[in-house]
Amino acid sequence: MGPQREEMLTGNMAAAWGARLARAEYVPAYPITPQTEIVETLAQWFADGTMQGKFVTMDSEHSMLTAAGAAAATGVRVFTATSSQGLLYAFEVLYTVAGWRVPLVLVNVSRALASPITLEPDHNDVLAARDAGFLQIHCETCQEVLDSILMAYKIAEDPRVLLPVIVNLDGYYLSFTREPVAIPSAEEAAAFLPPYEPHHAFFKASRPLAQGIAVLGGFIYSYFRYQEQLAARNALAVHDEVAAEFARRFGRSYGPVEAYRLEDAEYALVMSNAFATKGKAAVDLFRQRGERVGLLRLRLLRPFPHEAVQAALRGKRAVAVLDQNLSVGQGGITYQEVAAALYHEPSRPLLLSCIGGLGGKEISAGEFEEVLELMKEAAATGQVPGPQLLYTEGEQTQMAHLLDIAGKEWG
Amino acid sequence: MIRVRFHGRGGHGMKTASRILGTAAFLEGFRVQDSPLYGAERRGAPITAFTRINDHPILERGIITIPDLVLVADETLLEDPLANPFLGLHAGSLLFINSPTSTQAMAEAVAARHPTPARILTGDLTALTLEKIGKAQALSATVGAAACKLAGVIGMGALEKATRKELEELGLPSPLIDRNLEAALLAFEQTPRVPLASAPPQPAPLQGLVVPVYQPPARGTPSVAAPGNIILRKTGGWRIFRPVIEYDKCNQCWICFVRCPEGAISLDEKEDPHIDYDHCKGCLICVEECPTKAVVKEREVHAW
Amino acid sequence: MAIEHAYKKLKEISLEEFILPGTSTCGGCGGLEALRLAHKVLGKNVVFVNAAGCFTLLALFPFSPFKGSWLYTTMASAPAGAQGIRDALDLLIARGALSIEEDLQVIVLAGDGASYDIGLASTSGAIYRNLDFWYFCYDNEAYGNTGVQMSSATPYAARTTTTPAAVLTPEGTELPKKDLFEIWRAHCPPYLATVSPRHPLDLARKFEKAKAFKGPKLFIAYSPCPTGWHYDPGQTPEIARLAVETGLWALKEAVHGEVAHTYIPKKLKSVEEYLQAQGRFAHLFHPVRQEAALRKIREAITQYWAPYLRTMQNAK
Repeated sequence: MGPQREEMLTGNMAAAWGARLARAEYVPAYPITPQTEIVETLAQWFADGTMQGKFVTMDSEHSMLTAAGAAAATGVRVFTATSSQGLLYAFEVLYTVAGWRVPLVLVNVSRALASPITLEPDHNDVLAARDAGFLQIHCETCQEVLDSILMAYKIAEDPRVLLPVIVNLDGYYLSFTREPVAIPSAEEAAAFLPPYEPHHAFFKASRPLAQGIAVLGGFIYSYFRYQEQLAARNALAVHDEVAAEFARRFGRSYGPVEAYRLEDAEYALVMSNAFATKGKAAVDLFRQRGERVGLLRLRLLRPFPHEAVQAALRGKRAVAVLDQNLSVGQGGITYQEVAAALYHEPSRPLLLSCIGGLGGKEISAGEFEEVLELMKEAAATGQVPGPQLLYTEGEQTQMAHLLDIAGKEWG
Repeated sequence: MIRVRFHGRGGHGMKTASRILGTAAFLEGFRVQDSPLYGAERRGAPITAFTRINDHPILERGIITIPDLVLVADETLLEDPLANPFLGLHAGSLLFINSPTSTQAMAEAVAARHPTPARILTGDLTALTLEKIGKAQALSATVGAAACKLAGVIGMGALEKATRKELEELGLPSPLIDRNLEAALLAFEQTPRVPLASAPPQPAPLQGLVVPVYQPPARGTPSVAAPGNIILRKTGGWRIFRPVIEYDKCNQCWICFVRCPEGAISLDEKEDPHIDYDHCKGCLICVEECPTKAVVKEREVHAW
Repeated sequence: MAIEHAYKKLKEISLEEFILPGTSTCGGCGGLEALRLAHKVLGKNVVFVNAAGCFTLLALFPFSPFKGSWLYTTMASAPAGAQGIRDALDLLIARGALSIEEDLQVIVLAGDGASYDIGLASTSGAIYRNLDFWYFCYDNEAYGNTGVQMSSATPYAARTTTTPAAVLTPEGTELPKKDLFEIWRAHCPPYLATVSPRHPLDLARKFEKAKAFKGPKLFIAYSPCPTGWHYDPGQTPEIARLAVETGLWALKEAVHGEVAHTYIPKKLKSVEEYLQAQGRFAHLFHPVRQEAALRKIREAITQYWAPYLRTMQNAK
């Protein structure tokens, strides 16, 4: 295991370090809060010669991701970052570059979507991209951000995969929060991640190639889309291989999911990203008073690790998926995915859906208590309620006050 | 159920023909579906349109693979693999070909090249269209009328109403609609009644399923590594008229070569132009632009 | 860089074809004619970056008409795709991963819808960044690939499927064509020109001249469209000729923003000859002549040429 120095880094800085250690050669950028610190840092590193290659500020996220994909299709290693509205502005390009099968890494700093426009996170932005052909790794800590970017390139560039990856971190809760991060040495990072040398996508005079070409006919289209699906499913095994090598070299181990005190748990929370930390704290409190509660953190969202989810939740009495997102008119997004994964389990747990933390709203200890009560009640009665929208009395009182100030008494 | 398939080239009006038949059948009280099939192709390229007529709800969608009646607006389509008008013809079905060739001669030619269980019928709708409408390609009304007659369940009143309605929707000026109507009614009268036998319900043979497997990335991406391989794709069948060079008049000025959008005219070492008939789409720019009138146009008539 | 060809006569045009026949563009496509001629000057070491439009289907799996390379991007961001490819090629060459012989000219291929409307911001960005690329806009004055809807390149009084000539809108399109040349020129690119397929030597000279410039080299190619403009495909060159001779399509260039006309008709032909040749303007003449609309078209031409014709007269 090589030397790793620890430094206090924000999630954004950890992301920039990930790009730097991956020796990303090309960074097209466009500012958006709360991601901007990443591209500011990279701009500085390219400008002072710390990083070799080119940083270019584009005219929109749509252009930014197009340039990123086109550069990757030419054969260089590309990094870029965005957030929220920016990710949605680039939305069609997500599908486009995934279809080119180019292995770039895009960091998304989650921020809730307008309207109303806001700054704090939830995951509607990144989950909107879940069907686009990008793999997705969701991070809980600043360390995980750096590590996941290195792993993401290695997974993406594997000839069994060749798909782009989104590495996700929460705005504010990680992006602006410093915590100690171990930074691998450049040599160790290079040994882990060799240079990118594509054999399927390039532009050069001696070997003309028409890429991203139009197809007509469903069977042709389906063939290429199926290839994306097969590539993404291959990424499950590739992730585990890459994670094993990463653990060997750097001493930190990542699975497609993280099980926290789940082994003997009767009840389980399912969460993702930075708020999983709050969930773990709640689990610890429950455990202190003898409640057998654990937490499953979803880390690899695409490809979705069905088997890991099944194995982790097998034998639980009830499970509550705490979604920090809202599919309006349906409910929680990851709830649906967990439910699908558990459907064929011979003795599947009761599965509850809770929505919390939208726009960075706090999920308080009381709310975790309520979620546990709901699970127990469901276990006792066999009845599972519909999606629960978590909101406290205090928040309701404050909100009523704000509505009064806003002159809404005619409502 | 009567399943009708129209084959034409972009600009022939086969979508409108399918709609004239569709509307006419609708006016006669049937359940109807009509739809065009859009592809990459543009004006001049093969297009297909479909009409289904039934006396109870139609539980089918999309293309018609087993037609009872096929109408071919241009006999050059018979040899066009992109058009494939012979697809799915059965013993009860009728293949109508717009052609000056007699039914018997056409039947013999088809039998020699594309044996088909279907009966063949020809009619020179282009001549009629040219005479009454003045434009050889404006075949929607006449082909639509022939289809109405051959479908066997549509009267002249419904045809007239349907034709007027469809052409009005296209925004044609009313004198032109009148000429189209006249041509349509003539085409209806001239086309004989031939009994159709609807295809017995015969589900398409089931194909075995395969399990898609991951391919090496070069085979898994929509890229093409064979530069210029588009020449494998023939567009010569798009022509309605064929440009022909009369070399005694050619003064080797290069204009036809320079003006051809397709690059389908090449020059030999004597600077004589040569037309690549596999790919010439028949735009006739060379005919229009030749300063010595050395390029003349001839109607493409015979498929073979 | 020395000018290799003067393109004084037709017989200097390359006999080699770089876009092979068999594509699905309409017969008589003016845009393809212009692109074919331009490609002869540019040679084979190119990569096209395509924006959604009629030319998207030039390459259709499993076929490519090009001797060079191609990337389909999106409708709005082809210039950004050009940025990514250009930058990546430069990086690969700089670090020795690619030899200089492998370098390619990067060419955006976009219709007027992409150029005048949805992709304008992306183009502005690429010109602003002084990206070393070519931009070929085939301007057929409407969204042709979707069936001829109005774009901001559609000229005043043309009929399209979304600007019908109807009771409340007798002229059809009510707004004048956007002046993309001037919008681009405001960025001061090193080279900017309009071309027409009917003027192959003017076209070839401009592409040849542009080779000397590093940075954006931008072309708006007048692209008569038989399908959308409603005329017989064989008339494409004649329509293009009339556009220039009536003064509707000015052949010009701007080097670092300095405009020069490369062809000024000795006497402007009556614009009605041009209008009457196309179905898209038929409503200006039938059932009644729309005098006000015709006057407006004439006045716009007069106004455009007034300073140049005056300059010419002064020069005499």
